[in-house]
Amino acid sequence: MEIASGLLHGFAVALQPGNVFWCFVGCLLGTIVGILPGLGPAATIALLLPLTFKMDPAGGIIMLAGIYYGAKYGGSTTSILLNIPGESSSVVTCLDGYQMARKGRAGAALGIAAIASFVAGTVGVIGLTLVAPPVAAFALSFSSPEYFALMCLGLALVVLLSGTSLLKGLLSLLLGLWLTSIGTDLFTAQSRFIFGQATLLGGIDFMVVAIGVFAIGEVMSSVEAGEEAKVLPVPRGFRNLLPNAEELKACRFAFLNGSITGFLVGCLPGGGATISSFIAYGIEKAVSKHPEQFGKGAPEGVAAPEGANNADTGGALVPLLTLGIPSGGSTAIMLSALVLWGVKPGPLMMQESPDVFWGLVASMYIGNVVLLILNLPLVPLFAQILRLPVYVLFPVIFGISIVGAYGASGRIFDLGLLVGFGLLGYAMSKLKYPSAPLILGFVLGDAMERALRQSLMMSQGDLMTLVQRPISAIMLSLALVILLIPLFGWFNRLRVRAITENG
Amino acid sequence: MLRAFLKKGDVISGAVLAALGVFIITQALAWDYYTLDGPGPGFFPFWYGVAMVVLSLLLVLNAARTDSDGDKAGVDWPATGRAMTVWLAFALSVGLMDFLGFLISFALLAFFLVAVIFRRPFTTAAVVAVMSALAFHLIFPVALSVSLPTGPFGF
Amino acid sequence: MNRRELLVGTASALVAGAAGPAFAQFKPLRPIEFVVHGGPGSGNDVFARTLTTIIDQEKLLPVRMQVVNKPGGGSTSAAAYVVSKKNDPHVIACFTNIWLIDPMVQEAATNKLVDMSPIARLVVEPALVVVRADSQIKTLKEFIDAAKAKPGALKMSGGSITSRENTVRQLLMQLTGVRWAFISFPSGGERIAALLGGHVDLMIVDPSEAGEQVRAGKLRVIAQVNERRLPAFPDIPTIKEAGFDIPNVPQMRGVVGAPGMSTETIAFYEDLFLKASKTAGWQKFVNDSQLDGEFVKSAELKPFFAKFEGELREILKAAGAKVVR
Repeated sequence: MEIASGLLHGFAVALQPGNVFWCFVGCLLGTIVGILPGLGPAATIALLLPLTFKMDPAGGIIMLAGIYYGAKYGGSTTSILLNIPGESSSVVTCLDGYQMARKGRAGAALGIAAIASFVAGTVGVIGLTLVAPPVAAFALSFSSPEYFALMCLGLALVVLLSGTSLLKGLLSLLLGLWLTSIGTDLFTAQSRFIFGQATLLGGIDFMVVAIGVFAIGEVMSSVEAGEEAKVLPVPRGFRNLLPNAEELKACRFAFLNGSITGFLVGCLPGGGATISSFIAYGIEKAVSKHPEQFGKGAPEGVAAPEGANNADTGGALVPLLTLGIPSGGSTAIMLSALVLWGVKPGPLMMQESPDVFWGLVASMYIGNVVLLILNLPLVPLFAQILRLPVYVLFPVIFGISIVGAYGASGRIFDLGLLVGFGLLGYAMSKLKYPSAPLILGFVLGDAMERALRQSLMMSQGDLMTLVQRPISAIMLSLALVILLIPLFGWFNRLRVRAITENG
Repeated sequence: MLRAFLKKGDVISGAVLAALGVFIITQALAWDYYTLDGPGPGFFPFWYGVAMVVLSLLLVLNAARTDSDGDKAGVDWPATGRAMTVWLAFALSVGLMDFLGFLISFALLAFFLVAVIFRRPFTTAAVVAVMSALAFHLIFPVALSVSLPTGPFGF
Repeated sequence: MNRRELLVGTASALVAGAAGPAFAQFKPLRPIEFVVHGGPGSGNDVFARTLTTIIDQEKLLPVRMQVVNKPGGGSTSAAAYVVSKKNDPHVIACFTNIWLIDPMVQEAATNKLVDMSPIARLVVEPALVVVRADSQIKTLKEFIDAAKAKPGALKMSGGSITSRENTVRQLLMQLTGVRWAFISFPSGGERIAALLGGHVDLMIVDPSEAGEQVRAGKLRVIAQVNERRLPAFPDIPTIKEAGFDIPNVPQMRGVVGAPGMSTETIAFYEDLFLKASKTAGWQKFVNDSQLDGEFVKSAELKPFFAKFEGELREILKAAGAKVVR
């Protein structure tokens, strides 16, 4: 069979000592890049690009890819320990990961993140190996109506993220929608809500919002206790440093969910790891027998999004390698790299450059194993960060937040925004507004608006197109179902509460 | 007790959000709502502005409707005050970064946090401030070429 | 003029004359900042970094040149930064068309390209007009006819309303009196996916983005957007040759310096980039990226900016963009 022979050939290439070395280097760099906010995989790949000119293409792409998917492993570390997303797709991991750390299960959370990343990452590569062509065709069949329906499905998940007050969750979501529309409208070049600031023309950086609302907001809440502020409990004893059997068992479906969701959403050129991690989280919560645990430290709440953002890499490589279409910053640079090496990514790549193509695919299997081995032993090490006295940890959190917010754009203005969002995060937590819907709205709002306008432009104003197309109709119905069922429960609870309060 | 504050908080936040919603709607009306090519830049903002106004008014109504427990205790002001002091220190530190650079501004922030908020001795505060500032400086701008705000001294 | 002034004047003239060729008068003393308006990995960034690497390898500079990313608001952040470094001879930037366009359509973008010091234009980027290979349309004329038959029904994918592809579309629509829709997508990948998936009918795209699809037989090129035919596509007519005489709208990349640069400094940089553009490494890059590397010097660049800006303004107005400046 063509695939089997190709893969064997790939392993022959990937297992050459030089290439194994580059794989390891890439994975190590990727992990470091993922752990540190302010350093993104895209920027790192771009910086290392000139160095790779002297390398042979297979080794070069193996290393760059290692950085790309390695970063997804490391991104969960600060998310869990400090509530600071190390990477934009790790923001969902903060929701339950940090809560697990607060309950003393930091080690377990880190371990689950690593294991989920490994399982889903490997599934992603298997998908890339076996079903790349049909998945690529699926990705191409996705047009703007389908994207819109997907975003609606994602937004419908807000009802699952709102905790006790749906009203506040919705308001939080709307706030996120507003914040993401700040900037320049793609279709008309109309600037919206920029308050005369040229710096806002490009919109607000997601990391600034996420770090401000999550990390700074959390620090401010913790500081209320002053000198009695407690750090997170350090897991004691080897058994507590890694997930126990019960937690792993609970995550079985999450591993699968993360893998499939991440891979499928990842292969869409307009998709993204952040979107897929939100959807995986939402699906997990929707099918869970104890949804109220989510947001309070449910292990599945860590496994699903972490898996999704890793399977996403496999998915994103499908259009890149089979069609030459990048989906996102990192893959775009890898595309330039391939072009500069004379490898031509596109429909003919598999035939013309089997060394690079299959070598890369095979190296990803190896890379995922390397990363698991690299990350699991690091878990107890990282958990020790929690040993730092509170008066050292909190300044460090501020420092990391500043680096994270400043690193991407290099503008003091973004630090000012960080300060503002920190205050917003604190206010929201005092007033009991859930912050997850804000982030959800921010991530999805832009894409949803674009998809709707594109759909209407394509259909010349005909809204029916959204329900006439099968895939989009299915997803919209699902979104509706998700919105309605909990609503019955909510109305019921409101009714009951009103009765008991009045009675 | 907490509920009383929340109630008041809901009223205030609801009002603020309603005002924001109104602002959004007025801005949105200035742009094209629907053009030849489909919804314009004003379409979405208009609708989520409307939703914001409606929902926040609902929130205010809800909050005002349920009776107060008669308890005026409300907010734990010292605690909130501490949080706000930290926030102010952070804001000031960021403000200084443009002029003095990251190293000095961050060291000052760290010193303030350790000495004033966590009430540790001045020497501890100084050590933490200097060490952490140096660590950040060595790791990020020096080792990883990730730029941090610089002041007149080049760092 | 009294005798003293005459003496000083003559002495200075003698000194200036003895100083030698103009570019020897400027020597960079610090690392040079090469400002780019995209983030790491963006098209401009790769362009600038490749150029920097070549200059470094060929040892054309006594100091380091480093790429400084100033992303945000298209070109506005980068332009603002460059203008803020007025009179600093160590700050140069890589400009593209949007450095001209952004100040015209954005109220808040106040820094204009014509206020900066033009150094050189390095490349223009040609484009290809492509349809799917299984489409009925074989020539540009057939597309225009099809669009005439169904006004507004045919669709084209592209970037923002101010992008080059929309500019060409506007010019063609004005010339032929025909209308077809323009659907904006934020990334090149999504635009090509829309075409390949059959959701749009046409696309005007960089050869480097679509080249592989064309080679694999998935896309068909029906015209080229450039003054002359690309060597890789000798049989495809340019838009003019296909019978549609629209003005050429070059998509250019070049170098400008911070405002207030002296003529000697500009001459220094012009010479630097001229040398760089002649190296084998650069030629290879230009060929591999399917660019057109016609070097335009500083003296021609300034009047060109003014003229081109005027042309673009008219086109943008016709396209329905709100022109504020």
